[in-house]
Amino acid sequence: MKCEWVRENIVLQVYGELADDARYELEQHVARCADCAAELKAEQEFHALLAQDRAADPLLTDPSPNLLAASRMRLQEALETAKQGSFWSRLAFDPANWLLQMKFSPTLAAAILIIGFLGGVGTMREISRPTTTAALPNTPTPTPVPTEASITGISSIVQEPGTNQISIKYNTVSTQEAQGSLNDQKIQQLLLYAARNNYNTGVRFDSVDLLAQKSGDTQVREALIYALQNDTNPGVRLKSIGALGNYVKDDTNVRDAVLRALVNDTNSGVRIEALRLIEPVKADGSVRGVLMALAAKDQSTYIKSQARTMLAQLPEID
Amino acid sequence: MLIREAQRGNRAAFEELVRHYDQAVLRLALHLTGTEQDAQDVYQDAFLKAYKNIGNFRFECSFYTWIYRIVTNLCLDHLRKRNVRKEDAPVAKDASGGEYDLLDQVADVRAGANPERDLLRRQLGARIAGALEKLTPRERMVFELKHYHGLKLRTVGEILKTTEETAKNTLFRATQKLRGALADMR
Repeated sequence: MKCEWVRENIVLQVYGELADDARYELEQHVARCADCAAELKAEQEFHALLAQDRAADPLLTDPSPNLLAASRMRLQEALETAKQGSFWSRLAFDPANWLLQMKFSPTLAAAILIIGFLGGVGTMREISRPTTTAALPNTPTPTPVPTEASITGISSIVQEPGTNQISIKYNTVSTQEAQGSLNDQKIQQLLLYAARNNYNTGVRFDSVDLLAQKSGDTQVREALIYALQNDTNPGVRLKSIGALGNYVKDDTNVRDAVLRALVNDTNSGVRIEALRLIEPVKADGSVRGVLMALAAKDQSTYIKSQARTMLAQLPEID
Repeated sequence: MLIREAQRGNRAAFEELVRHYDQAVLRLALHLTGTEQDAQDVYQDAFLKAYKNIGNFRFECSFYTWIYRIVTNLCLDHLRKRNVRKEDAPVAKDASGGEYDLLDQVADVRAGANPERDLLRRQLGARIAGALEKLTPRERMVFELKHYHGLKLRTVGEILKTTEETAKNTLFRATQKLRGALADMR
């Protein structure tokens, strides 16, 4: 076997793409040929190097849930206005497929004939059978718990005044309605969906407002953090940050999200609220670092002076 | 079944299809474009294109292959455009003459406990990224799908509308170039 062939196929060997017989031949050759053995070793070292980088590079791991959710939300908004290609345009633009389908025409005609015949027999039987179902009492069917994939949007959220009853209208293929208390799993699931995915700001605001009452729940807190970081509406972000306030001290994810809002949010109201919330944890290393950056060069005079005041209250670090 | 439903215009069915594939699509776009913003744009364009053209899907290949074909075409366009405007990128040259992105050198405020190891990791990452940038868009795509996504070369060929043999040759060229560019790192 020629060394040239071996060298061209070493890469396939390393990726497990060689057929069994070719792999056997390559292994036999490498055992005898020092040059090709060195080549195989070099290829393996190169893969080890890439694997080392792969383990450390965040871009090579799965995208973050926040990025995925933000992408889905953006796509959902775009799909609202997108239109699928019409049946006629498909015919007009794909003549090659007409020809391809003509090959199957005899089979298709026979299949249609058989289906038509069976359909006719079935219909005759149905007509001749005595109807008994009409006499049955009309029992209500239970509303199935919606799965996230089947929900296409949420149109309204209403809490009945003075009660803990919430009414949510949501769309699957047609609009449906679910009712229950905030402790109801179905209601919670719909609220979490609405907070992340809805294009209607009012609905997102209502869902975040209700979820704020359940901010002790980890899943709810994640949804509130998501809303704080990604929602386009400052009112929704303000509501989310308010609901997260009690957890800045104990939950580092919340603290990080509040710090990100303090540094990056475009709305000064949200930033000032973030600054107020981090006051009890201002001695924390990450918080101190952010305060120093704000005190040095923040565009807002108020935030700059508040950050300086907070830093001045802290003991000096040697 | 979902595909048939989506072809009939059922948006919920299409969105369920999206959820089956979108994580892999976003990962591919993120790695090839290098920024979350560009990756989101590719993701958005790919699924909108799929939605508009799903009626033309004839089950001649798997839906997975079809959707990947759309994404890879968009990524290839992106890579070609980026190659054209590369001169504007904030790049510098390292000791061996290889270019790397200056933005990759900005210190991470949340760096690990071992700064020396972290620096070496960043240097390695920058060198590999620089070497990948030197590949042609098609070599980069074949390498990406094979090395980072673990697809079979036959599938890579189907996605890129070429033969398995051509995919093999492209992979060979890509690894040779990368090995050459990173020879001093081993």
